[in-house]
Amino acid sequence: MSINNIVSRYKQGLIKFRKNITENIKLLFRNSKNKEIFLEKLEELLILSDVGVSATEDIINHFEEINFSEYKKNNFMYFKEQLKKMFTDILNNSSSTIDTLEIKKDKLNVMMIVGVNGSGKTSSAAKIACKFKNKNNILLVPADTFRSAAVEQLKIMANRAGVEIVNSKEGADPASVVHDGINAAKARNKNIVIIDTAGRLHTKINLMSELKKIKRVIKKEAEEHSLEILQTIDATMGQNVISQAKLFNESLGVTGIILTKMDGTAKGGIVIAIKKELDIPVKLITFGEKLNNLHYFENDKFVEALLD
Amino acid sequence: MFADLSEKFKKIFKKIKNKGKLSEKDIKNCLYEIRIALLEADVNYKVVKEFINDLNEQIIEEKISESLSPAQQVIKIVHQEITRILGSKKSDIVISSKPPTVMLLAGLQGTGKTTTAVKLANYLRKKGKHPILVATDIYRPAAIEQLKVFGEKSNIPVFSMGVKEKAVNIVKAALKYSSNKDFDVLIVDTAGRLHIDEKLMSELEEINKEIISQEKLLLIDAMSGQDAINSAKVFCEKIKITGIILSKLDGDARGGVALSLRKVLDIPIKFIGIGEKVNDFDIFHPERMASRILEMGDMLTLIEKVESAYDEKEINRINKKIKTNDFDLNDFYSQLKKMENVGSVEQIVGMIPGAANLNTNKMKYDNRELKKIEAIISSMTIEERNNPSITNGSRRRRIAKGSGTQIFEINRLLKQFNQIKGMMKKRKSIKNFPFN
Repeated sequence: MSINNIVSRYKQGLIKFRKNITENIKLLFRNSKNKEIFLEKLEELLILSDVGVSATEDIINHFEEINFSEYKKNNFMYFKEQLKKMFTDILNNSSSTIDTLEIKKDKLNVMMIVGVNGSGKTSSAAKIACKFKNKNNILLVPADTFRSAAVEQLKIMANRAGVEIVNSKEGADPASVVHDGINAAKARNKNIVIIDTAGRLHTKINLMSELKKIKRVIKKEAEEHSLEILQTIDATMGQNVISQAKLFNESLGVTGIILTKMDGTAKGGIVIAIKKELDIPVKLITFGEKLNNLHYFENDKFVEALLD
Repeated sequence: MFADLSEKFKKIFKKIKNKGKLSEKDIKNCLYEIRIALLEADVNYKVVKEFINDLNEQIIEEKISESLSPAQQVIKIVHQEITRILGSKKSDIVISSKPPTVMLLAGLQGTGKTTTAVKLANYLRKKGKHPILVATDIYRPAAIEQLKVFGEKSNIPVFSMGVKEKAVNIVKAALKYSSNKDFDVLIVDTAGRLHIDEKLMSELEEINKEIISQEKLLLIDAMSGQDAINSAKVFCEKIKITGIILSKLDGDARGGVALSLRKVLDIPIKFIGIGEKVNDFDIFHPERMASRILEMGDMLTLIEKVESAYDEKEINRINKKIKTNDFDLNDFYSQLKKMENVGSVEQIVGMIPGAANLNTNKMKYDNRELKKIEAIISSMTIEERNNPSITNGSRRRRIAKGSGTQIFEINRLLKQFNQIKGMMKKRKSIKNFPFN
């Protein structure tokens, strides 16, 4: 697939989001008689996109300071640029070093996929494998030994993707599955290991400790390695995602977010809130059930597609 | 992450302490806080707007006076109103008078249909029904396998025909199959689908057209955001949903989506999912949900659970012991054991108002700890249990050996016991020990 195709796919996925936001903004801009009405409508738009109360308040405060009649004199493009800049600033304002998923040379790249139940971990694990399989030597590790048939699901998807997968059984200790997986990867000269973990709610201490243990096992077994802890976030979810990201991050140090299910009508605006409140970068984005619809998340493109 | 609403209210009302009644501005401040609380709970923006307008009128009508704790009054009004919207009466599941009853489970991907199908079957079986699960998710890899494994683990039969047959034909065949056997409820697990996926939505419509189902239940994730009502609306339009099951309520999601759904769609919420095990399933309680949305904690559930763990006789017995200062290690242990029946510390803390965001790590008191205490106490002589103060160094060494624990653990237990006993001495009575 050419770069252009990927971009257009990416944009296509966001097309509903884009349409909604842009048309609404255009309309609300034109139809607002005064600043108060305009700000209320803008607030509605942002809240309905799951941007969150705090980020919305910030944006509203910014526009509260503007001289509305001056603004009206300017054209729509000018206003849109302002809004775009605010979104981009939040997404770009980052203290963390790397915002994209990098495959390091001469190292074992370990990716651990974590997240709450039903957020798309298993699918994402297979999709990542599919994305990187051509230039890399990948091993999938099914460490979700809790959910019935989760191992089976990943096996089927691994076969479809044409990627190697290690064996594990329902009920097995996930840390020892990972232990064996890492060692199998070393023995088979793999450079990427993708670990699918069981879904768990962030409030369950015992289950979070289990993840910490898996992380310790990786650190111990993998020697020269680069570790990505990727958390899947369902785009249809609301403000609870902030609590999810916060607690997973506290337990594990999340290095990036995979924003899933962006092919629906939900706006996924929650990533703005996550970035703003927790400074965790969004690295990947998925648009559906096919293996090849996982892409890099690009701040500029996301906002561009959002408002263009 | 979010301050307790009642705390916020107290702050507002503190400022107006010297006034006789609430001014317009006070009410406005209150409504603002309620509004933020609801938005942070993911109640839909439009629903919040309407709700706040209605509330404004009610509060003005009620003429709240300062002397009667206006904070409590406003909270009560809000709580009542939300409870009313969520459903003043519980709405149970419809069972056909002519078996079999067909129940269809539908929803977006990852909302918990497969898990819930087994839980629902288990729930109905406990009510004396003979359910069978029908696997029609022919798309997600290993979805049928998942239903089979989880169903069989819970001793519930699963009807499946692999992934080649159309969903509607699978249900038809299941109906035929069950009529020869003694199954009286068919629970149909369908594939997760986006409401805008025309192909898959028409598959649902086809099932709905060709098979009469008494219940069409929509799975909604309790953590859902603003878009949830949009997708729910489409499911309702296409297959006339009869009830909602709210899943994943065991986390810290405030579940504002429940209020949105009830306000926008006139469909009852029938069940909630509260964990991954087959019994983690309950009927929906509107008043508890209202507390949760307002982040007032789930005190009712907690009180109910404590009540069911303690009968009056037991409380009287313990009270008597406390009064006469006879509370001993045997009683201590039996109390701990009862705590275990009430729930894990995490569960209990989650139900306490304002405690939802406490770091429960610091309060870790898990079942292993209880096992240890059990081991220690059972390694003591009767004399030692009745009068722990006689356990000197050599006794403690013996107990440690006998229970496979360390001496410091015994010291800690005895210290805890003495602290509790000291506390009780001061209070001399319990109502719902250990929560009053």
